[in-house]
Amino acid sequence: MHTMQSTLLVGPADWDATRMPKDEFLARTVALWRIAPAAAGVIVYGDRAHHAELAYLTHFTPKLEAALALIPRVGAPRLLVGGGAGMMQAARPLTFITGVQPLRNAGATVAQWIREQSGGGRPVLIGRPYMPHALHQEIAGALGTIADKTADLAALMRRKSPREAAAIGEACASLDAAVTAMRQAQRSGAGVTATVLAGEHAAHKRGAQDVRTLFSLDGGRTLRPFEASVEGAIDPLQVYVAVRQHGYWAEGFAVVTASSNPYVRGANEILLYAIKMIAPGRRCGHIARETNEAIAPLRSHTLTQHVMGNAIGLALEEHPLIAADSTDVFEAGGVYSLRVGLSDARERTCFAVAKEILADKGLSDDSYAAAEKTMGLESLVALVATVGSFSMTCLTAATFRIDPPAANPTPLAE
Amino acid sequence: MTHDERLAAIRAGMIARKVDTLVAIHDGAHFIETPNPVFVLGRFKSLGPAAVVLPKDGEATLIVTPAWDAERAAETASGMRIAGADDVVNGIVAAIGDAKGIVGIAGLPFAAWGIASRLTQALPQAAAADDVVFDAAAAKTADEIANAREATRIAELGYQRLLEVARPGMSEDELAVELRWYTKTLGAEDNFLLLCAGARNPAVAPSNGRIMQAGDTLVAEITPSYRGQLAQICRTATLGPASADLKQKYSLLVRAMNAGIGAASPGAPMAAVCRAVNAVLEAEGYGEYCHPPHIRRRGHGLGFGSIRPGDVSLDNGTALREGMVFMIHPNQHLPEAGYLLCGEPVLLTADGAEPLTQQRSALAEIAI
Repeated sequence: MHTMQSTLLVGPADWDATRMPKDEFLARTVALWRIAPAAAGVIVYGDRAHHAELAYLTHFTPKLEAALALIPRVGAPRLLVGGGAGMMQAARPLTFITGVQPLRNAGATVAQWIREQSGGGRPVLIGRPYMPHALHQEIAGALGTIADKTADLAALMRRKSPREAAAIGEACASLDAAVTAMRQAQRSGAGVTATVLAGEHAAHKRGAQDVRTLFSLDGGRTLRPFEASVEGAIDPLQVYVAVRQHGYWAEGFAVVTASSNPYVRGANEILLYAIKMIAPGRRCGHIARETNEAIAPLRSHTLTQHVMGNAIGLALEEHPLIAADSTDVFEAGGVYSLRVGLSDARERTCFAVAKEILADKGLSDDSYAAAEKTMGLESLVALVATVGSFSMTCLTAATFRIDPPAANPTPLAE
Repeated sequence: MTHDERLAAIRAGMIARKVDTLVAIHDGAHFIETPNPVFVLGRFKSLGPAAVVLPKDGEATLIVTPAWDAERAAETASGMRIAGADDVVNGIVAAIGDAKGIVGIAGLPFAAWGIASRLTQALPQAAAADDVVFDAAAAKTADEIANAREATRIAELGYQRLLEVARPGMSEDELAVELRWYTKTLGAEDNFLLLCAGARNPAVAPSNGRIMQAGDTLVAEITPSYRGQLAQICRTATLGPASADLKQKYSLLVRAMNAGIGAASPGAPMAAVCRAVNAVLEAEGYGEYCHPPHIRRRGHGLGFGSIRPGDVSLDNGTALREGMVFMIHPNQHLPEAGYLLCGEPVLLTADGAEPLTQQRSALAEIAI
């Protein structure tokens, strides 16, 4: 899932040897040479937004500026971190690598480093897709064409170790705490922003490294990030929460509501059905197609109709994607996030028709045809009549300045 | 200046530079140091990669990924056609269609390689056009100035919160997370919050797990963003009483900052602000500390859209003009005191630089 990227990461990210010992990183490095058998060394790029590969090999989370890890086949790795020399003191606790230096003159630095490596092989690059264009030009200018092994490393990262699974479990517990806090806040009458932020706070109190949220102001039809405070309360409130703990992500959708909701129950049942189908060797595409069939006659939500899940770990979205056209398979030891969203086509059509006829004073031919197909002519006539009736009531109330009775406030005030 | 006036200036710039179609690209990784031409044109802070395709005399198209975020874009980018897309480069190519003429690209150097390399392949003749966008965004619009004022208000409240909650035994991370969350409750959608503490800080750096101790000097750049506009305050506090020497050094920085604020006026080069700050410190014998590796700049522009007028540095000859918003911060490493933070966001008016803060920086002592 896409979430809003923060300009600076502030959560706890220090390396904790008891949670993730150096030996585990060294074993990962040994595996790295299997995907780059002739390489003299590996250059790994990471920044605030994309650093799963860098974290996998060094534990380092670039909170502020980008970093490059230089991992030689023989000898100690180096970590080059953006920022001046004075910033290195703050960076060192975030990694087990002792050689932490400022990242300066990237092209010349990596060229010198590769000259120092024995064997004369070419280096390989990891993280090129995320690297700023200008930085890539500088490195390519110094080293020439350089192979990128990001996808190969991603394959190594799919199977989680017990320690990694434990970290994801911790993230799940914080995710639960966040949603529980949101439910409590809503029950106490909190508005949308206060509800969402209560959840974020609860996850942070459990030591979350990062918390990202999306929420809906239109009954779950669309999701949005926090942009400005929304004081009013909404029930049901559709939320998406992603929590990162000890480097690893967990995510989930939740409907925060005081009442029972048949769609939520239905979505939960389908989610459990999808989970039961998953087994090592099963194709991701098969699970996605079967799940979509189970959703009928309702439709999959816009957010989940193409991709209903993915592997998850150091990145919020890892491969494989769980999509109808995917030929990837589930693996033992893989950790996956599945998302089921239901959409009622009739309800969605009501919203679209009302919005269009009020804005454009009529329906386009395409919209009319789509609405008639979904609702039938009789229901479409009823919908247009209802919109007209409601508009007349609103115009009357507005023209004659009639306030709703204090004891019977309008549910559409927000 | 209004947003529409800015767009008109950008179109005028296109004509002057003979650019028929402008492509603005951003990869969705929002950062204080990198400008975002999509935000300048569309006032939209995207979740994923986004672009604007602006013909010199036609309707602009805002390309949004993920596609499901298109409706949110339509709320802010009024007057633009909104195109939800799964792939921003494909969206750009489709929006350009068979348009003829010269294409200019803004934002390419900062875009991720995965996007930039494909875009340069798709538009091999395109020329850099960053100046077309950012020259027109050197001064803020009225809305951006109002947002900068609100962001400053939030920053000052955030600092008050810091003074209330910071205590020995708390980790830097814990404090930073709490402040970031608190400023969100006040309406800040993001916060560039550099915060660290120590007996003598070598620099201001991102927080880590270090446990703060009595006697620490705590330095913080609190930089909330309100509706996509950043504003920053730079503050220093001690956990417990400050020494007389520290107080004296800090008052020197305040004097330097005030000299910088006094030197900022319409028509003056930005370098003059830096020189004014340096002069105060040089007079006290700290000349060597006014240059790299100790210090590179005395302030900077404030995004997320445009970061013009750029750094408050000796090599920035940009002529200041009304409506510019930027930081003046003589943040300084002093051998006796370590790194200290002191700075205000200012709006350049006809009368000079107006600090946006209600209270200027002063060394604070947190009772413990």
